[in-house]
Formats: sequence, structure tokens, C-alpha cells
Amino acid sequence: MAQYTLKPDMNFVRELQEAGGDSLKRCYQCATCAVACPLAPVNAPYPRKEMVWASWGLKDKLMRDADIWLCHNCGNCSDLCPRGARPADTMAAVRNMVYRELTGPSIVGKWMSRASGLIWLFLIPAVLWLVIWSIRAACKGGWFPRAADGRIVFGEIFYGDYTIDPVFMITFFGACFILYRGVRKLRKMFRPEGELLVIGKKKSWICHLVGVLTDEVVTHRKFDDCEDGPVTGKAAVNRKLGHMLLVYSFAILAFVTAVVALGHWGGKIMPAVEIHTPMPLTFPIKILANIGALLMLCGLAALTWRRVSLDRANHVSTFYDWYLLGIIWLVAVTGILSQSFRLADALKPAFVTYYFHLVFVWMLFAYLPWSKLGHFVYRTAALVCARMYGRS
Amino acid sequence: MSNAILVAGGGFAGLTSAIEAAELGHDVFIVEKSPWLGGRVAQLNKYFPKLCPPSCGLEIQFQRIRKNPRIKFFTQAELVGLSGGKGDYTAKIRLTPRGTAPHNVDFSLLASALTGETDNEFDLGLSKRKALYKAMPFAFPARYVLDGGTLSKSDMARVAGAKFVAPPEEPREIALNVGAVIVATGWKPYDVTRLANLGSGSVKNCVSNMQMERLASPFGPTRGKIARPSDNRAPLNVAFVQCAGSRDQNHLNYCSYICCMATLKQCLYLSEQNPDVGITVYYIDLRAPGRYVNMLEKVRARPNVSFVKGKVADVAQAEGDRVTLTAEDAVRGEKLTLTYDLVVLATGMQPSLAGESPSLPLSLDEDGFVTGGEEFGIFAAGCARMPLDVTRTAQSGTAAALKAVQTVRGR
Repeated sequence: MAQYTLKPDMNFVRELQEAGGDSLKRCYQCATCAVACPLAPVNAPYPRKEMVWASWGLKDKLMRDADIWLCHNCGNCSDLCPRGARPADTMAAVRNMVYRELTGPSIVGKWMSRASGLIWLFLIPAVLWLVIWSIRAACKGGWFPRAADGRIVFGEIFYGDYTIDPVFMITFFGACFILYRGVRKLRKMFRPEGELLVIGKKKSWICHLVGVLTDEVVTHRKFDDCEDGPVTGKAAVNRKLGHMLLVYSFAILAFVTAVVALGHWGGKIMPAVEIHTPMPLTFPIKILANIGALLMLCGLAALTWRRVSLDRANHVSTFYDWYLLGIIWLVAVTGILSQSFRLADALKPAFVTYYFHLVFVWMLFAYLPWSKLGHFVYRTAALVCARMYGRS
Repeated sequence: MSNAILVAGGGFAGLTSAIEAAELGHDVFIVEKSPWLGGRVAQLNKYFPKLCPPSCGLEIQFQRIRKNPRIKFFTQAELVGLSGGKGDYTAKIRLTPRGTAPHNVDFSLLASALTGETDNEFDLGLSKRKALYKAMPFAFPARYVLDGGTLSKSDMARVAGAKFVAPPEEPREIALNVGAVIVATGWKPYDVTRLANLGSGSVKNCVSNMQMERLASPFGPTRGKIARPSDNRAPLNVAFVQCAGSRDQNHLNYCSYICCMATLKQCLYLSEQNPDVGITVYYIDLRAPGRYVNMLEKVRARPNVSFVKGKVADVAQAEGDRVTLTAEDAVRGEKLTLTYDLVVLATGMQPSLAGESPSLPLSLDEDGFVTGGEEFGIFAAGCARMPLDVTRTAQSGTAAALKAVQTVRGR
């Protein structure tokens, strides 16, 4: 008989408990959760097996488990759990551990894992943008300059070409590089042991990625599938609408940003496509941007309301959850306020809120690989891998 | 001051403690809510440890009561108030009239002629009963009960002319002077309508284990032939869902102790009627305490019974009034969705006092079990204290009797 010696990692168990899985030790392996989950596949369903791994501190097994990403956290399992072990929160805690440990520098992961790290996360961009502001203020001869025609133009201080654009491009591509490294790691980890036999033609990962994006991300189908589980007898709010609004608002705002960047930089070559900021309110791109902002607020309100009204006995929100909701709230509110102050010609409030807007946007993107927002990349990667390895 | 003992509940615990106390020379009053003594045991087909029919053990108890002038019992009676203190209580008992004359008249002919029907609570809704009824052939007292609410118009005319049917009477209250009280209020099957993911009791051919006892009982709705309630057909494959509502903080947050053994017993009922019937038992842990492990081994050795470790968390109606259930086989790590002719939910025992506001100065724990009261001369016996099988219920009845006797001794 082959022998397998388990090496329980009690330290990891403690870390998991701190990351949101504090009740995981209550599990007595009845396997209700695996049935409660309508997404769990027939073969090796989750989250029962993850619960026993978590209990034993099998860090390696958990971190390389693609199933933690197949879970969309509807909470059915926690609702039906007879012990209040909250499997859904344990799954989320494992994901939090992946955010924290998958990529370096590890100090960011550490800061991101608790509220006390927030100050550092905030100070970095706050100082950065303050330095830029002060340098520009020195050039312009004042902290709150008006444009030549008397309007408020944020570009007077935060001039695109050599302040915002380079900083955000470095941030963006830096985050992309870190995410890329993370995804490569994940892909290696997700590969099942042994040889994978595929009968027939093998699809490339790009086909699977397109499949995931069109079939799952765009439609948010899994959120509906989450509703197909057994009747729990407990009230639950479907997250589909709120999440969808938020995702679409991000897509719209990303599109708007891309168009403006193209218009700006492209305009230097082809003056015909040049876009000047601030754009007038009636400009189609501006209208789209404001629609995006509005959708974002609606989505945020829906998701926040849901999280606040969750039954605390079965569903606990962690710092990861609140950080993500909080930072998006701050980005949205400061963005909308700075536009409003600008239009209302309130000079100082406009610049101050815009400064904070830049700080929060930078936080959102720069810390993406270590924050819960990382799920947008890691979960997509896991879903692609699940399709590649025939697990669905 | 009184050295009489009041026993609330005429089930196995109550009968045992009443008889033990009376045989030690104390006056005993049994107050039973239902029209007959015997409690839950009377509803069973067979009971542990020897798998006798209930008439077997209960008959002896009834004989001892009959022959002992110290025991008085009130059926259709409820303890509605208790005043005074240890050694000198005044118990108020509300008596509901039985509607029939006080001798053992055989009303079976008249009863069969009646038309009004209602759900038979003794068969847990598996059959109907008339307005004039006796739940079981060995009922004690062997008297019929008239339930005026179920009489149809024609029934009323029929009953009005009948001899020995007593004229309608108002409920009345009596007061008893007692020195100690034994609470043997027993248990009720957990309400399946609260098990949302197990079908809330609305799935056809998904019965509870107590209903299964009635199906197997020769005095039950099918005269002992285990059949599907929907079409009266003998099931070819049956599943048992263990811990249906037990060991679950959303329902009963404790192990009900008897359901595993009840299921093993019912596996034998089914196998005796059809040795080829396919049985699957879905469990979290199988609990066969003490010598009961022999029973587990006996059932496990049967080729037609298999055991799957994994709790059933989803039950749904399938085609042909069959029942589909889903569980994860936790040993193999596979989610199973299988369809059965008959599914038995091994529901647990909830103390009868749970959710009630008892008329006694009793402290109950969060689940409804009696936790204290001994300093007031109030002693709990049987399943009012904790989930127990019949053997241990009898032991706890004796224990309570001994304590009660010591309380009132020498007065």
C-alpha cells in the first residue's frame, strides 16, 4: 500500500482563520456543502474537500486548487451548513491567501491583508501625487491655478503628457506584468498531476479564454447557476445585477479611457482625431463616461446593500471585501465630485478631490494583484484552465 | 403535605416511574394528554432492544397499572397549573371529556358506519380516521373517543341515537395535592416541513421514520405491508436519509441518538418483506452505541443494504412519484444523484416541551430539554431530559421515581 504522510501546517490554518475562515474547524465533513453548491462538478466536488484540507493545513493542496476559483461565493453552502462552519467564507479565505502570497513584493500582500496596512497603501500614492502637485505648483506659481480662459482645468496641475500618463502607464503595465507572472504560476499549479489524455482536437487556451469571456463573464451566467441549488429556506440576494453593473461600468470606463488616450496621443500625429480634456458635457465620450460612473454607483449600492444585509451568522465579510468595495466607492465618489466641483467652478475643492481621485485610482490599479479585484484575472485564468483540463 | 406523586406523561418513561413509585407504596397520578397510554412506543412496529412489538412491553405495564390501586390515570388531561412547593403542590388538571360512556364498549360497528373523516394523527397522516375511534387494538384504556369536530351531519344523527355515547360535556378542571412531580412529557418527531432542502414534507413517497414505523405496523394504514403511500406498491429500492434535521444548528443542534438504530431496524423490516429490496443508507456517522453494534454488523452483512458516507442535502420529486436525492459520497469524492421508490427521512426527536410554554416552573435548555427543577421536587424522566432509547428511558423513569420517592418519603 502506498503511504501518504500528511504534514499539517498549523501556521497556515491560523492564517486562514485570520483571513476569514475562523469557523473552518467546526466542519464535521457531512458533505452537505458539496450538494448545496450547484456549481460543484459531480467528480471531486467542492467545498467539502477544501474544508478538510483547510482543517489539516494542507497549504500546498489548497493554494494550487483551481476549484476555489470555480466557486462564485453564493453562500448556499454556508446557509445549509449544519455546523456554521461557513465553507463559503473558508473558500474566500483561501482566495485571500492566494492574493496575498501568489506574487511579490510580499510586503504589499501583507499590507493588503489587514486594516493596519491601509495607511502604507494610502501614503505611497498620496506622497507621489503630492510631490507631483507641488512641483507643478512651483512651475505654475500657485497650488490652484486657473487656465488662461478662467476655466478649471485639472491638466494645469496634473498635466497628462508627463504626469498622469507616464505614472499610470507604468502602474498599469507594472500591474499587468505582475498579474502575468501570477497567472503563469497559477497555470503551472492548476495543471493536474500525471498526463492529461485528450481525445480529439485540443483547443488552444485563447479559444477557451474567449469562451470564458463570452459565455460567463459577459452573461454572468454562473450567478444564475448559483441559484439552482437546493432550497435553503433562507433569504438571499442575487448578486448578478450589482456585479454586472459594476463590471459593465468598468468596461465602459476602460473604453472611455482608451479612447481619450488614443485621442490625445493619436491627435499628436493625426490632428483630426484629437480629443481635448476636459471634454464638454455633450460630447459622446463624456456622456458615455458619465453613464459609466452612474452604473458604477448603482452597482456599488446594490453590492454594498447586499453585503450589509447578509446574515452575519452564516456570512462574514473580511477586510478584503470591504477594501475592494471601499476603494471603488472612493474612486467613483471622488471622480464624480471632482467633475461636479469643476463644473460648479469651486476651484480648491475641485483640485483637492481630483488629487484624492488620482490617489484612489492609483491604489485600485497598483494593488490589484494583491486585492480582491485580482479575482478578475485569477478567476478568469482558473476558469480557462478548468475548461482546458475538462473540469466544469 | 402529600406523599402522592404526579407524573406528567403516560409514555414509557411516565409509566415506568409511576409504577415504580406506586409499587413502593406511593399514590401516583398519571396525566396523559392523548386518549391512551403508551406514548410514542405504542406507535412503533417493533422496539429495541429485543425488537418486540409494542404491545409486548406495554401490556405488562398496563397490567401492573390495572392491578395497582395506588395508580390513578387521567387521559385527555393536561397539567395547567402548579402551585405550592416541594412536598405540597396543588396541581390543576384540565380534563377533556371523552364523549363515550365509561366502560369498554366496542363501537367498531358504529364507527365504521360514520362518514366524517380526518387525518389520523396516530398514523402521522398516512390514514384517515372517523369521529369515533380507537387508535390501536391494544389501546389502554380500551375505550373509544368521540371527536365531535369530525362528525358529519349524518354522523350526528347516528351518534345521537347511540347508546353509551355520552352527551356533550364541558371540559373541567380538578385539583390534586401531590408532593413531587415527574415530568415525562417525551418527544415529538422533528417537523419535516421545516426541512426546506429535503422537500419540506411535500415530496410524495418521502416519508419520515415514524411514518415508516406505521407503514410496517400490522395495525397501521397498510396492515403491515410496507408500501409507497402514493400507489400502495411495494418499493424496490429505498434510501434512508440520516440526520434529517439532527446535528444541525439550523434545526436540532444535537444527535437524536435513536435514528441510526431506527434505520437499521427498518432495514430489517424491509428486508424481511422482500430480501431483494435495495437499500442505501446515507449517513454522516453511524452511531450504534454499546451492544447495538451487533445490530449494525448484522445489517451491514446483508447484501442488499449499502451505506454511503455523505449527508443528503437535496430531495426532489422525480417522475412516477419517485424521489431523487443528491449527496456527496465523501469517501470517493463523488456527487451522487439517484432516484428511489421510497425515501425515509430519519428525523430526530425534539422534546415535546420545545416551543411550548410549560405550566411548570421548569428550566429548559435552548433545545427544550428539561435541565433542572430537582430542588423543587420536580424530576424529569425519559426524552424530556435527553434523547434516549426505550431501555434507557425505562432506566431514567426508575431513577426519577426514586428521586421523587425520596422527596416525599415519610411525610
